[in-house]
Amino acid sequence: MFHVTFYIRRLHSICGIVPMGLFLLEHVLTNAEALGGPAAFNEAIGKIALIPHDIMLVIEIFGLAIPFLFHMIYGLYIALQAKNNPSQYGYTRNWQFALQRWTAIFLFVFLIIHVVDLRIFTKGGGTPISYALLDQMFNNMGWFILYLAGMIAAIFHFCNGVTTLCMTWGIAKGPRIQTFIGRVMMLVCVLLSLVTIAFMAAYKMH
Amino acid sequence: MSEQKTVHFIIERQDSPDSKPYTEEFLVPYRPALNVVAALMEIQKKPVTKDGKKTTPVVWECNCLEKVCGACMMVINGKARQACATLVDQIPQPIRLAPARTFPVIRDLQIDRSVMFESLKRIQGWVEIDGSWEVNTAPIQNPYTAATAYEISHCMTCGCCLEACPNVGPQSDFIGPAPTVQAYLFNLNPLGKFDKEKRLNALMEKGGITSCGNSQNCVEVCPKDIKLTTYLAQLNRDVNKQALKNIFNK
Repeated sequence: MFHVTFYIRRLHSICGIVPMGLFLLEHVLTNAEALGGPAAFNEAIGKIALIPHDIMLVIEIFGLAIPFLFHMIYGLYIALQAKNNPSQYGYTRNWQFALQRWTAIFLFVFLIIHVVDLRIFTKGGGTPISYALLDQMFNNMGWFILYLAGMIAAIFHFCNGVTTLCMTWGIAKGPRIQTFIGRVMMLVCVLLSLVTIAFMAAYKMH
Repeated sequence: MSEQKTVHFIIERQDSPDSKPYTEEFLVPYRPALNVVAALMEIQKKPVTKDGKKTTPVVWECNCLEKVCGACMMVINGKARQACATLVDQIPQPIRLAPARTFPVIRDLQIDRSVMFESLKRIQGWVEIDGSWEVNTAPIQNPYTAATAYEISHCMTCGCCLEACPNVGPQSDFIGPAPTVQAYLFNLNPLGKFDKEKRLNALMEKGGITSCGNSQNCVEVCPKDIKLTTYLAQLNRDVNKQALKNIFNK
């Protein structure tokens, strides 16, 4: 009657771009400051810290935590409704469909670890995030690989999400434009992944 | 005399809807232009396995034998397709046959596809003709969309797209690409378009078009080459407009 499923699905779709996609881009750009060395990175973090704590907390809860949890929990429900079959039907889009769900499940776990560890325990416990702190963390190869995989999974999930969003909202209708958008977004995915690999490598090369 | 060439089949069988599946292998005498249905007919004539054991004939469905009715859809070498239009010469051996398990299996390769009929009822896959209004001569089809309507009308509810779709199955309530796209066919009809809102509202319900995950397997496997993903995107556009109407028109 009220098409609850329809509105939840569309909300889930928008949430993936605003705020999640934008936040991911912000994350990549801020973290890329590590390429300029510890001082540049700490300065970038310092700029964000200029936002008063009370305002930041409201943004974090209503602008990030709630949309993220909604997208993650409802997304997990969607992911569990698929029986992935790319080994049987090995078309590009079907692989991307399966990867979207596999990255979703990985990111669900990764984001909980990441946020609970760095935002809630470390920053919430009074230790400010800094280049030195991350450097120490990434000294451990396990953390380094987990974070690198988490970033690349999130970038793929976002880029492929933009492609499917264009289909879901009826923006790109025909196969020509759908393929075009798909390729452009995969190019964006590769570029953002290269930036990520570069700034992650920066921690290992000093 | 040279040795008789044979075709090797590995068939997934099941005696009843609830019993456990098992496989049996058969060797069918080869002849040029042999298709899978004709091979199954050979097995029916002489139901003896590769090892010489006598068995029950393999059960399957077929009608037209020319890729029009959709009844003989099954999974051949891992992909959903029509058995009648699958030539033995064009696929690698051994040929593996399995029922399309997205649907309930009745016996062997025979499946119950009535769920698609129920879905067509749900999206009102027909044109309302009888009512309290005057019945006139039928209006002409829109010449600009007639080719599209003709293309979608080729759909034979074979179920290939449902079998290939990762979002259709017991784990999900998605009605699948075929019934969804039929809504667009009837929305294009000069009389059918009067019920456009009803169909779009039905597609916005649980298990409707929102369950599409854009894997696009449907368009790859459709034996009638219907541009399913294009029409799904068009319907997505239409339901979005309908949602705005639902919110702002009342």
